[in-house]
Amino acid sequence: MADPAGHCTAYSIEKLSAFVDGDLSAGDAQAVRAHGVGCPRCAAVLSDLSALVSAARGLDRPEPPPTLWAAVEGSMERHDRPWWMALRLFGTGALAGAAAVSVVALGLASWRAHRAAAPAPAAVAIAAVATDPLLAEAEAEFARAAAAYEGSIEKLRGLLAREEPRWSAEERALYAERLVQLDEAIARSRDLARRSPGDSTGNEQLFAAYQQKITFLAAAVHRGGTWGEDGRPPRNEGSP
Amino acid sequence: MAVKPPHTTMLGVTAIEGLRLAPTEGTRVQLDDAALVGAIQKSDPGSREALYHRYKRRVFGLALRIVGASDAEEVAQEAFIRIFRGLPKFRGDAALSTWIYRLAVNAALSHRTRRAAARLPMEEAQAEAGGEPQMTEAPRGDAVLRSRLERALTKLPAGYRTVIVLHDVEGLEHEEIASILGCHVGTSKSQLHKARGKLREILADDGITAGTLQNG
Repeated sequence: MADPAGHCTAYSIEKLSAFVDGDLSAGDAQAVRAHGVGCPRCAAVLSDLSALVSAARGLDRPEPPPTLWAAVEGSMERHDRPWWMALRLFGTGALAGAAAVSVVALGLASWRAHRAAAPAPAAVAIAAVATDPLLAEAEAEFARAAAAYEGSIEKLRGLLAREEPRWSAEERALYAERLVQLDEAIARSRDLARRSPGDSTGNEQLFAAYQQKITFLAAAVHRGGTWGEDGRPPRNEGSP
Repeated sequence: MAVKPPHTTMLGVTAIEGLRLAPTEGTRVQLDDAALVGAIQKSDPGSREALYHRYKRRVFGLALRIVGASDAEEVAQEAFIRIFRGLPKFRGDAALSTWIYRLAVNAALSHRTRRAAARLPMEEAQAEAGGEPQMTEAPRGDAVLRSRLERALTKLPAGYRTVIVLHDVEGLEHEEIASILGCHVGTSKSQLHKARGKLREILADDGITAGTLQNG
């Protein structure tokens, strides 16, 4: 029995695969075995399938990258943490970040006072950052602190995003307006810090702006995503 | 996402005193699955990490072969998060390994569905055509053949690929696969046999026959 392409049609490949697994009844298995003796095409298919199964069983279980456990553990730690502790940690992290930034800023201010009475022009400051290890390290620390602030802000925004659909249109508009103001303040400060690397003023403003935004968002989260008794956003907390 | 630096501590005797221990090689001890689940449910230190190390290769290998190298770590992470979140409610109705495979397969298939929905048709076609390398190691000797077999697996439709990976690569029985996939045993067998036929065609197109597979 053969199809137009010359393939034997006595047994489907599914049937032959079942034979390889020993899934056929004794009678069917005997019939396939007998057929295979006289049919080189089916014998070749059986040989291919047996080799394929054997090769598949020989495939390794690959070792995952070493970062996988750290990622799982980090996710589970966040999951295990009670929501109020997450809020406290947001605050603690922000405060710690602010404290670290203040220390670095004070150190920078002291360094600048020691080195020169007048502020250096931007070009000189950029050159100083490029060559002075202390300044370069301080800038790297600023970048890490900024990333931590942005991470906290993103998480708070995520928490509030779940609540936002419950708000009135007016509340959503006020919330969006306040965020725009805070984002503009952050953008201005970031621009100032970028134009004058090594000058602590820009970074101080930038972290103050981040802190304002975190305070605003954290206050909203503390209220369960709702506004104050007057139905307004937390006006005195985190206003730019 | 911020992650902590990896560390490699293993579950030790001091962390799990009083639990059933099974002797293993060297100085390490190993809990059986039921005791390990109990330890996790009691929040014993190191118990999650012990389970992770016991199943990491199975979960990651499954993810790698179903979704490809670029997404495997993300899927394995998602699978382990589902596992650890689900373990407090795990009552042992199924074997732990079967339950873990089920969560890993679900994580991988739902990831594929999300990706497919987000992809342009051309990108999907390229991904289905085996555009993603499977193993990061440079293949040598019979590793070349394994690499070609891995590549052929990526060309199978996801349903076929899942069944053939679970049965032929991972060595699961059809009863377990049916439980994992929520289908009948007969369906699992039928899918497997069709998958092998398709895989044989793909390998033949690549010039690989039984002789090549047997001889490397």
